[in-house]
Amino acid sequence: MSDDSVPLALPLPRLSAGSAGVTKLYRELRRPLLRYLICLGLTCDEAQDVVQDAFVSLQRHLSSGGGQENIRGWLFRVVHNQARNRQTSYDRRFGEELDGGMDFLADSATPEQVLLRKEKLRRVAAAIQLLTECERECLLLRAGGLRYREIGEVLGIATSTVGDTVERAMRKLAEKCNV
Amino acid sequence: MCDVQGKLIAWLDRELPTAEASEVERHIEQCRECQRWVATYGHVSETFDAYCNAVMVAKEPRRVSRWVPVLASSLVAALIILLVLLRGRVEPVPVLAPTVATASAPVPAPSLAAVPGPRKPTMRRHHMAQASRGEERFTQGQPMDTAIQIAIPAEAMFPPGAMPAGVNFIADLRIAPDGSVQQVRLRQ
Repeated sequence: MSDDSVPLALPLPRLSAGSAGVTKLYRELRRPLLRYLICLGLTCDEAQDVVQDAFVSLQRHLSSGGGQENIRGWLFRVVHNQARNRQTSYDRRFGEELDGGMDFLADSATPEQVLLRKEKLRRVAAAIQLLTECERECLLLRAGGLRYREIGEVLGIATSTVGDTVERAMRKLAEKCNV
Repeated sequence: MCDVQGKLIAWLDRELPTAEASEVERHIEQCRECQRWVATYGHVSETFDAYCNAVMVAKEPRRVSRWVPVLASSLVAALIILLVLLRGRVEPVPVLAPTVATASAPVPAPSLAAVPGPRKPTMRRHHMAQASRGEERFTQGQPMDTAIQIAIPAEAMFPPGAMPAGVNFIADLRIAPDGSVQQVRLRQ
């Protein structure tokens, strides 16, 4: 794996507390952060609280002259730790059958397409249940757009371990999902 | 199984160093099996992403469509307008009944005994053509001459004691459509 510094997907300008850059960062990262937390098992309200707290922490971090390298990874790490503090058993919920009967899939699709999508999501859910906690978190952070190095920082593991974990998890999903 | 297969996901995620990535890319162009795995991994990534989105949508509180408040406001406004219109029909605004007297008809003098204190002049207004043309007045498009009768108590015009009590004067005025007074006649 490449350990050299990789550019972030989001080119982040130099930030200062209360600046427009922070607002822009909030707009860009709010949804990925919420999705990560909700997929970890937090409720929507809990996730929103955690994201708000994380950006308050970011303001404090910037006000106190904290480092600005990899702010995105920093934010994911903060919400990850806060999620862990709030709910120790969150990981068990990810991969369960979706609530609400997946009615949202019915938008602008034929009944056959809706059925196929539902079936595919059921298979993914079942496959996700077979993943370890670390594999799930790696895939979730990867889906959030983080680089392996950033994932390693969030989870506190080596970048090479992240690569191996992601590959193993993807292989499992490919085998179980039959996609 | 190719040796490169273990690097395919890292290659997809652009995590390989440039030289190694080029090498893997060249291999993929030639290896059918690796091409299939790349497609599979891409599909798995998309499906996983879709599942994450589905989880988020399923757990998000249902959003009210942005048209609902607009429609609700329109409905309330329409109801209010309808109520106002209906109320206007059921309870018409009270209007002073027009006089049916002609311009030359004498106005009964009010009794001074019934009204204590000095009285103010009273005024009646009606169209000249009303009495003569009857219902045709509604078909006339042009404005008509207006006759005004003003009952003026004598005590309002003269100092106390100058005129006997109970005497009134009637002022007949004819107003042209342009608002000018055409005729003034004072009678007792």
